[in-house]
Amino acid sequence: MHELSVMSHLLERVESHAERLGASKVVTINLVIGDRTSIVDDSLLFYFDMMTPGTVAEGASLKVRRTQTRCHCSTCEQDFQPDGYGYRCPACATIGEVMNDGSEFLIESLEVRQ
Amino acid sequence: MNVDSVRIVNIVESLLVSNDDAADVNRSRLEAAGVLTINLMSSPGAGKTSLILRTIESLGERARLGVIEGDIAGSIDTEKVLAGGASDAIQINTGGNCHLEANMVHRALDDLDLTGCDVLIIENVGNLVCPTHWALGEHLKLCLVGASEGHDKPIKYPNIFEVSDVIVLNKIDLIDYVDFDRAIFYDSIQALNPGVPIFEVSCRTGQGLDAWTNWLVEQLAPVRMEG
Repeated sequence: MHELSVMSHLLERVESHAERLGASKVVTINLVIGDRTSIVDDSLLFYFDMMTPGTVAEGASLKVRRTQTRCHCSTCEQDFQPDGYGYRCPACATIGEVMNDGSEFLIESLEVRQ
Repeated sequence: MNVDSVRIVNIVESLLVSNDDAADVNRSRLEAAGVLTINLMSSPGAGKTSLILRTIESLGERARLGVIEGDIAGSIDTEKVLAGGASDAIQINTGGNCHLEANMVHRALDDLDLTGCDVLIIENVGNLVCPTHWALGEHLKLCLVGASEGHDKPIKYPNIFEVSDVIVLNKIDLIDYVDFDRAIFYDSIQALNPGVPIFEVSCRTGQGLDAWTNWLVEQLAPVRMEG
């Protein structure tokens, strides 16, 4: 349910960037959101549609690029994706080191019309 | 020049940069007052308020503790911690919001008396998901888990274990009754946040609390020097 707050903060930033850029319209908002952030795309889109009418982002396309959690095994020197039951390497059972992938929480870029 | 041109502008900033900025303002204010601030996060019922009460008791004369209580409704916890010896306490009612945000803490700080306060604990709304994204101005994020919640919490809610600076496992007196597998719990935290301090306590029996507060007192020195 925190997607409402996230969207409210996001639109505040988008409006501020649009003003700074002298944009008349925001066409596309590109986000990068990792799976470990527990943000739900459908929920974001629900609030996006609810909150954008009448703003510079009305009718814009909200694109979310998802990233998945990856671990690194220092024994095999291989990366692997955790299986949902723990963080051990599927090949040798060493505890993996969780990498940054999957924790992203960014506005990557905006497509704007002048 | 085509006035209808569309261009792509790289932004690459956190979705919550405005909250992060507000949190920095809170942190500066708390550092000026020499107050070490902790964002206490857990699921509902893990024992956040009990940990605060036990921490006050265990700290004794070593440090005074102030509290900001975040709850969806009610002020029961604020009354409890004031009765338990908190230097001051303020209630924030989020009115349904599932987490605290920096601007709510900013307003609470206007009303909180920080005189004689060494440690401020901000008790977040009981929730393992939402509070992790919103910085409040804290120096340390504390994740509290009750043994009865199960050893798989770091697998199901990885983010909070990854971003926390310290983890407290409460209800350790129940551990043999609730099939809690320490190996799975510790392995998962090791993967997510290698080397993070983990304290096992029981707020019911008092077990392990001195080790926790001894560590807490060690964290005070740098912030006291700032103030």
